[in-house]
Order: sequence, then structure tokens, then C-alpha cells
Amino acid sequence: MTGEIANWGELVPLLASWLPRQRWYSGQAEPASLEIIDHEIVGNGFPALARLVVRADDSHYQVVVGLRGRDERPEFLRGQDQAVIGEFTIDAGEAIAYDAVFDVDLALVILGMVAPGEKAERVRLMGAEQSNSSLVYDERVILKLFRRVQPGHNPEVEVTEALGAQGFTSVAAPLATLRAGDFDLAILQPFLAGASEGWSLALTSLRDLFGMHDTQSVPAITFDAPPPSAVADPAQAGGDFSGEAARLGAVTAGMHVALAEAFGRQRVDPKVWATSIARQLEAVGPLDVDKDAALAILDRLAEADPGPAIRVHGDYHLGQVVRTDTGWYVLDFEGEPARTLEERRSPTSPLKDVAGMLRSFHYASAVARTERDGEELDELASAWERRNCDAFLRGYMRVAVAGGVLPADEEDVHAVLAAFELEKAIYELGYERAYRPDWEAIPLAALRRLTS
Amino acid sequence: MTDAITATADDRWYQRAVFYEVLVRGFYDANNDGTGDLKGITQRLDHIQWLGADCLWLLPFYQSPLRDGGYDISDFFSILPEYGDLADAVELIGECHRRGLRIIADMVMNHTSDAHSWFQESRQDRANPKADWYVWSDDDTRYPDARIIFVDTERSNWSWDPVRQQYYWHRFFSHQPDLNYDNPEVQQAMLDVVRFWLDLGLDGFRLDAVPYLYERDGTNGENLAETHEFLKRLRKEIDASHPGTVMLAEANQWPADVVDYYGDGDECHMCFHFPLMPRMFMAVRREQRYPITEILAQTPAIPDGCQWGIFLRNHDELTLEMVTDDERDYMYNEYAKDPRMKRNVGISRRLAPLVDNNRAVAELLHALLFSLPGSPVLYYGDEIGMGDNIYLGDRDGVRTPMQWTPDRNAGFSKADFAQLYLPPLMDPVYGYQAVNVEAGQRDPGSFLHWMQRVLQVRRQHGDVLGMGSLEVLSAENPSVLAFLRQYEERTVLCVNNLSRFAQPVELQLGRFAAKAPIELFGRVPFPAVGDLPYLLTLAGHGFYWFELADLPSVSQ
Repeated sequence: MTGEIANWGELVPLLASWLPRQRWYSGQAEPASLEIIDHEIVGNGFPALARLVVRADDSHYQVVVGLRGRDERPEFLRGQDQAVIGEFTIDAGEAIAYDAVFDVDLALVILGMVAPGEKAERVRLMGAEQSNSSLVYDERVILKLFRRVQPGHNPEVEVTEALGAQGFTSVAAPLATLRAGDFDLAILQPFLAGASEGWSLALTSLRDLFGMHDTQSVPAITFDAPPPSAVADPAQAGGDFSGEAARLGAVTAGMHVALAEAFGRQRVDPKVWATSIARQLEAVGPLDVDKDAALAILDRLAEADPGPAIRVHGDYHLGQVVRTDTGWYVLDFEGEPARTLEERRSPTSPLKDVAGMLRSFHYASAVARTERDGEELDELASAWERRNCDAFLRGYMRVAVAGGVLPADEEDVHAVLAAFELEKAIYELGYERAYRPDWEAIPLAALRRLTS
Repeated sequence: MTDAITATADDRWYQRAVFYEVLVRGFYDANNDGTGDLKGITQRLDHIQWLGADCLWLLPFYQSPLRDGGYDISDFFSILPEYGDLADAVELIGECHRRGLRIIADMVMNHTSDAHSWFQESRQDRANPKADWYVWSDDDTRYPDARIIFVDTERSNWSWDPVRQQYYWHRFFSHQPDLNYDNPEVQQAMLDVVRFWLDLGLDGFRLDAVPYLYERDGTNGENLAETHEFLKRLRKEIDASHPGTVMLAEANQWPADVVDYYGDGDECHMCFHFPLMPRMFMAVRREQRYPITEILAQTPAIPDGCQWGIFLRNHDELTLEMVTDDERDYMYNEYAKDPRMKRNVGISRRLAPLVDNNRAVAELLHALLFSLPGSPVLYYGDEIGMGDNIYLGDRDGVRTPMQWTPDRNAGFSKADFAQLYLPPLMDPVYGYQAVNVEAGQRDPGSFLHWMQRVLQVRRQHGDVLGMGSLEVLSAENPSVLAFLRQYEERTVLCVNNLSRFAQPVELQLGRFAAKAPIELFGRVPFPAVGDLPYLLTLAGHGFYWFELADLPSVSQ
């Protein structure tokens, strides 16, 4: 039942004042210009759904507008003021317009638009992300509705399709996608039931380790035969994470091999990378890092055989991987939303992703560490990080070396990896200073360790 | 005879039953000779009945030279004299049935003792009437793909017999020759053995070592089609003559292979789920659910009328054949730091020492045992938290006398201490002065009383916990294992915290909107399920069992 609504124009000013209240809106203020460039309408009368692509100044957004009669202001909008777009009149009568993802009935209509024939009984809205909204149907499939859209293929669609086609199984390959004109608008994927984020698993492991320390650090009265007291040690802890870390490393390498097969391998001059990182290094003060040592890392990078440059994940850390009953899965290939599609697509070293994960192990150990007092835990936290980084690398190298995505010489691998860890820590320092000054000690410690 | 069992005939009783595994030698000594006996079990049925178990499982009590704990049977038709005689067995079976308890026993189908008269006859020469009752060969290289199970003691599956001047085949110890099931006379003889015991009243058998009945070139000699055919024949015969009998298979294999022993519901009624057990321990140690949910995801559906047997510990070692090398190293590392604790490819510990005598963990593991799909099997002594003695040889460490009282010999026997088959535990933590049934009975807060209570609740919900479907629920918190059991119109929600720390969890219970979770131990109604994810907080190692019930109407 695709229909038309005569008085579109009335919606435009409502949208212009509504958009800036959305998390996924990238501008600072109301757009100076707003234009509906694509629309599809389902339903005559109430409820109706209008799927729109709008251009607001220079950015594009997808808006799914729900329309119901103004008098029957629906229950699901209670306490969701940011979801209400406004009131206007259509043929069916006076309508209230709102973000349709909050409307269970229309969420099922959206599912049908993306995957005709797909049916579901229940739907729930998952927490809103920065650039999309996710709807989970029957705990079985997840629909990601891209809110900020750009002309050209969305990387999530592009990469999950390619990885699925390569037979890489640790990714939720798309079941259906919705595309209109130049824009990828939505992707339907299997919902990974029973999954936990790598981040929460890592913290579980660390809390177990610190808990082991708590129960063993107090010297007990000893009788004739004191029981041998085990010293807290990540290798001996019940919650040891290294098996998981090694399997995660292997999955990561499998992803890189599949990406290389799908998108190709390119030759690059490592001096380009070194120059770029050196430029970022300029923002770091001399008290924060030994600049000579940092530049030495970049010099070493510039001389290295860098191995092939490939399409990578781009924003890889423990929050982007989930553990399920069938092992690890990699999520969210959209890359950093702040970058242009061009940048997100450009090939680079897979060791950039590896560096991201190693930094994430450091963050996990440091964050869990902040939950507790006691200096003696520092050593334990470092031991956990070392053990799991080593295990991750071991699992990674085994698969990646055979898959031909690394420099041939292991010394070069470590040189490239160190440079990307440096780059990541520089980025983290800037980010923490801007948004979370309490956490700046984490990247600072990393910078000092890398340059010592 | 008034017989509570036949009065409530229910051929599928085993799907709701709780089994209690008894070592005849170790339970109670009625004639004061230092060894437990059948009369002793009869005299102690009060305990098992009070606890709330439904079915006894007796370890082998047949005539035997006892070189393998009685699994080396030298006469299937008589009782080991230390344990009593056939009259004692009949009395025990009758007394069980009078109380509404059922009773099954071990039966070894695969092999006999080398002291069995069948083998003694077979070995005499190559032409006697039983010459072909065992697997003989001039050559000790046949069936090279069959693995050696007891790697600590055996170097080959073939052993030389100096009398017959041939090799004989044995999958287990060299003093346990395998019967030759290709011989129809052997099949008939074993069917006669089974029928003899069913006529005496046994309610079924735990079939020891069933995967190995046949040997075939080019195979590993496990799970062969011929083995399944024989088991189906056995099932058909006992269904016809003794309905309501249960065949419980010991097939230490992956679940995907084990399900073959159910056939199409026309082979074994029950099989042990071996891999689940080490995974439960691993999940608690790792404080995350994946070791359990992984194996549940790999467990296929089973035919109607079939049931898994699940357990935490039993008389054998913690079986590690079923875990990957990584996990086996991990289990050794976590649970068996002393190399003496390693036996074959497993770990010989009792439950309490395995969990560092942590009561909360023991309760959590039993809560899992009683709520995951399958019929739970308890091991004698674990209900009071008995320990083990790792300095005893072979698997005796977990076979010490049941600790009844703080009196002499743990109240197990009035014989002289030196006469006991094994010394009772006397260490300060697990010794019988601290850990015994009498003390547990007197202490209302004891683990024993908790066990009795949880079994009451399990019995009240026996249909849904015994036969219900399983659905694992998503939970972002990896330390929480939540699942639904559903049977007909009833739904039970089980939520388990595998971590020692308190944990929150949000569950997607949207489809149960307007239902109210009622906690099963106290019947306390929890807030109704609404539109938001259902938030629960759990104490360290805590668990909940809820029934999801319709909301009571608001008006009184």
C-alpha cells in the first residue's frame, strides 16, 4: 500500500527543528536548508509509515516517520519527547508524527520493507547508537537502520557481505539489505543470541584475578603443616582469559585474510604512515613522551617491509567483538563515524587492528584496576595484560602468517605493530584529555612504555 | 505383596526420577565384617527415602575376583559372598518397591572376568563349545585403530594366552576379555542374564561400556551398527517381557554420537551426558556460562521417551575424554594440582574437595544439576559433602565408607578398624567426626537439609524440570546463565550466577508480559514482567528458580 501525502511541505519545518535533538545528528544547530530527496509511504490512514531520506545542509539522514491520529496519542510516546516530530494534517485527518522505531506495529512494517516476507511477533529497540538505530525481532534477527547516511556503499553492508561471501563465519552476514538510490539504508542480520561483549568478558576475568588476590594476600596463622599458598597469577586464575584471547587472535587473523581476498592487497610506502604518525605526534607535549624514542619507532617503521595494505576493520577493540556459544564474532564494520567513507575504505596494515586490540587489553586491565585500591594490584594487572596480549598475538600469528597478510620478517611485524600502537596511544591521549581527563593516565602509561 | 511400584505403573518414571548411586561395599556393613553389603543397604533405605531420591543405582555386586571394582564379573547369576546372597538381593528389591523406590544395577555387557567359567572353557583349546565366545586371534595387530582406554596400565588391546596359545581381545584391562557378540550363543546368554535379574525385580540396568561390543576391521571399534542392532534387540525383548524397565547406557562419547544409542526411541531409554559435567565445573571456575552453553548448543534433540542422565560426580574419575586438549590442560590445572589426583584421563576427586568445600558453589552446582535437562544422578556421600583420600590406590580415593555418625568407623561398621575394606576419612575437614549423616540431620542449616529441600522442590516440578524443553536466554552479563524450561503450559525460569561476586542481569522476557515470576522455594511473587528488560540481581553463586505464572487478579 504505497501512497502519497499531498502536503509534504508542512513536515519540512517540523523535521528541521526535530533533527538537532537526535543523537545521530551531526550538525551543531538547526539546518539552514532541509530537503526531502527520497520517500516511500506505507499505509492509507493510521498508522502510516513514511520512510524519508533528507538532506540537511551537506549531510544526509534517514528518517522513518510514524503517523497516527492526534487524538489517540500513543502510549509508547510517553516519556519519549525526543521521538515526537510534531503535528500536521494529512488526508486521513490530524496526525501526530514521530520516530517510527518506537512504534511496535510500524517496526514490523519496516522489517517487511527490508525483507519482504519476513515475519516476526515481537520487536524491541536496542540502545540508540551514534549513527544508527537497531531493532531486534523475536530475539532472532537484528535490523540496523542507518540514520546518518552517505552516498555510496555503507561499509557495514559492504564488508559483511564480502566476508560472508569469503566463507568467513565469525561475522553476522546480511540476510537482507535496503538500498534506495545512492544510499544503503538498512541491513538485516542474524541476532547473535547469548552473546557477551569481549570487554565484559575481559573485566570478568580481571575481577576474578583480583578476587583471587584478595583471598590470598592476608597471611594466615600457620599450624604444623601450612597448606601451600598459591600466589595470585593470571595463569592459575580460574577466570584465565588467555584461551579466549588466543581464539580471538585466530578469528582476527581469519578476518584479515578474508578481507585481503575480498578487497585485494596493495603495496604501500611505509614512509607515508610514518609521516602521518609523526604529524599526530606533534600534538603531544615533550613531558608526555620521549620524542626522540618515539621518532626512532617511526624511523624503524619507515625502513620496514610493511607487508600488504588491506581493507581493515578500522575501529577494532574488545567492545567490537562478542563471544557466543559458537565462538567469537566481529561486529560493526562502519569504522569511525567521524571519518569520511573514503578514509574508512582506504587500505592499511592489518596490524593497525591488532594494535587496537592490544591497546584494548591494556584499557581493560587499567579500568578493572581502577575498581579497586591497593598498589600491589598494578603488577597483577600488567601480568594479565601481558599474558593475554601474548596469547592474542600467538593465535593471530599462526593464522595470519599462513594467510599472507603480514611482513615476511617477524622483526618488521613488531616494528609496524609498535608504530601503530604508538599512533593509537597518541589518539587516545588526545581523546581522554578532551573528554575524560581522569583516564589520561592510561594512554600516558602506554606512551611511556612504548618509548622506554 | 503390596507393591507401591506396580501400583503406580508409569513406564516413563525415569524421565522425572532422581537417581542415587550406591557402592555396595561402601554404604553400610550389616554383618560387621568390615565390608558393606546388600542387607546394609536395605537397613539404610530410610536415609535415601528421606533424602528424596527415586531410584537406587547399585554398582556391581556380582561374583568377581574384584580386580576392577566388580566390573570383572566371574558369574552373572550369583552375588559376591561378601555382599550377601540372592535372598538378600530379593529382599532389597522388595523393600525398595514397598517404599516406592526403584532400583537398577550395573550390568557389564562387553566383557567378563578372565576367571569366568566361559573364558576358562574358551581358552582350553580352539575347538571346545565356547571356543568362539571370546575374540581370539593369532595376530596381535588387528584393529589397530581401536584406542587403548586404560593408558596407564595397558599397552595393547591384545594379550597373549599361554594356554590356548593365542591372543585375546580386551578393550579394558587384560584380565577382562571381550565377549564375542558375533556369536549368537553369546547374545542369547547375555539376554538370559538380563532376564534373570528382571525376573528378580530389578527396574533396569546401567549398561557399562556399551560402545565396544563389536570389533570390525578399519574402524575404531566404537559405536558400530552391529552394537546398535544388538541393543535394539535387547530393548525389544525387555519391553515385551518387563515394561517399565530402563536401560541407561554408559557411552562416553560426544553428545552427537551418544544420541545414536537412543535409536529412534527403540534403543536405550537413557544415556549419560558426559561432557556436560566437566563443563559445569569449568563454568564456575571461569565465572562465565560459555563452557555450559556451548555444550548445550551441541547437544542434539533426543527421541520422545528418552532422557539424559546427568551428574556432577560418580564413582569414576572426572571424565576428561570429552573435552578438547586445551580444556583438559585447563581442568588438570584447576582441579588436580597434585599429580596423584590424575587417573587415566580424568580426575579422582569428590565434589566437596573439587570446589574447595565451598558450600555456595556446591549448592549452585546442584541447582544446575537439578534444573538442566536430564535426570540427575547423585553419588553416595555427596549429599553430606564427603571428601576423598587421594593417597589410596586406583579409584579408591572416592570409594571410602559412607560416614553415618561420629562413632567408631564412621558408624559404617562395627568391625575392627583394621578389618575395614578402606579406612574412613579422618582428616579435620572431611573426617567422619565433622562430616556425617547424623550431624547433618541434627543441624537444620546443614547442606544435607538443603539437599533434601531442593529435591522436594525438584519433585514438585518434576514434569517441567524432568521433561521440559530448554531455551537458553540471552544475557549481556557473561557470568549469568539463564534458561527456560517449558512443559505443556508450564514455564520455569532458572537464573544462575556463576561468579563469586554479586551480579546483575537484564533478561528479555517480553513475551511473558503480565506474567509474574514466583520463586519456587518460598513461593514469593516477584514483580510482574513489564515492557522493560527484567532486572534481577543475584548474590555471589546465587540462583533463582521461578515459575512464570499468570498474574493474580487485583481484587481479593
